[in-house]
Amino acid sequence: MYHNVVEMIGEFEYLVLTAATRLGDKAYGASIRNEIQKSVGRACSIGALYTTLDRLESKGFVKTWMGQPTSERGGRSKRLVSVTANGMQAASDFFNVVVRVSKGVSWATNRPTNR
Amino acid sequence: MGNEQTNKSITAICWRFVHYLSAALQQEEREAVLGDFAESGQNGSEALRDLLGLLARRQVTVWKDGRLWLTLASVVLPLGLLLSVISQTMVGEARVYTWMYANNWDWALTKSAGFWYVLGEVATQVAINSLMLACWSWSTGFLLGCLSTRLLPTTRVTFLLLIGIFQIANAPQRVIHLWMYLYGLPGLTSSIDTNAPVTGIAFYRVIFPYIVLCTLVALPAVWGARQGKVGSKVSPKLRPVLIIAATITILTMLPQIPGFGLLLGSSGRQWLWDNRHAMRMLLFLTCWPMLYLVATGFRRYRQNAASG
Repeated sequence: MYHNVVEMIGEFEYLVLTAATRLGDKAYGASIRNEIQKSVGRACSIGALYTTLDRLESKGFVKTWMGQPTSERGGRSKRLVSVTANGMQAASDFFNVVVRVSKGVSWATNRPTNR
Repeated sequence: MGNEQTNKSITAICWRFVHYLSAALQQEEREAVLGDFAESGQNGSEALRDLLGLLARRQVTVWKDGRLWLTLASVVLPLGLLLSVISQTMVGEARVYTWMYANNWDWALTKSAGFWYVLGEVATQVAINSLMLACWSWSTGFLLGCLSTRLLPTTRVTFLLLIGIFQIANAPQRVIHLWMYLYGLPGLTSSIDTNAPVTGIAFYRVIFPYIVLCTLVALPAVWGARQGKVGSKVSPKLRPVLIIAATITILTMLPQIPGFGLLLGSSGRQWLWDNRHAMRMLLFLTCWPMLYLVATGFRRYRQNAASG
């Protein structure tokens, strides 16, 4: 069965969308970065994060705006992130594709393949 | 103890670079990125590496943008070359006078009334030419600032690099020679350097052109770009007017190019000659940057007075 995926997001875009959704109101640059680093166990560069956020915003998958300056950030503002309905749909589509495409492979079923 | 001190110094230098380089980002992004660095407690070298990564990615995006190439081809390259040509023409004149007075000074001359008369005329001419060149450069920068706010860091650096390269490659001289050759004046391409005593001195041949280029082209252009960026944001309705004003100012540069008359043909040259007084008045348009600066300064003063 063919599922119509309008625009397939990339894996890093999926990670950003998932982290931002999980963080909810507290989703902004540094917190998303921390969340990804914790989940993936690998450093997430600020360059990759901010360019991905721009790309997701231009596709209409997230909305970003500047928050109030806080003292813990040296009086600097946060770039707050909110995932849109289209963004959630795109992440869900990506997840479904990964689940479908992984059906029957060893690492998905947690069983060794017969050689 | 020594190592700790060294690490602290390196971190401080890295943070200084971070603050300096982050100016290349858009204001809001800069705010968010520096805030993220502060919150995550990164050290200077990590922050610098991250910032360089972000800037590199941003540059890749910018250079993929067709508008950048359009701006480079339509504004940066032709106007950079034009300003280099005019700057070099001015250098040729100014360095002869500078050499004449600075290297051949004689106190006895100061007793002659004719000396002061000529000095006054020369100083006025050089000052007017310098002011005009600075105004044209400022207007070019202003136009860049108005046209490409997002691309400005890249277009500004490219403009500065280009005028430097033009100077190193002696591009203005080559363009003038090519121009003359195309219009059938091959004799001029192999003319003898009549200012050899001046150009024989390394300062006048090498350093003087760069001083003129930096003070009368690069600095006013950078200042104009900053003003253009601010000006286009303050009043979007006024933006087209500002762009037209800067463009007209830039167009007044054209008759200053050596051999410009050749391009017009004989009827065009005749028309220019017949309207030479009106054309001279056109040069007053070059003063537009000064009017703009006075107007914005006055406006700021009034705003400050009203708020304070």
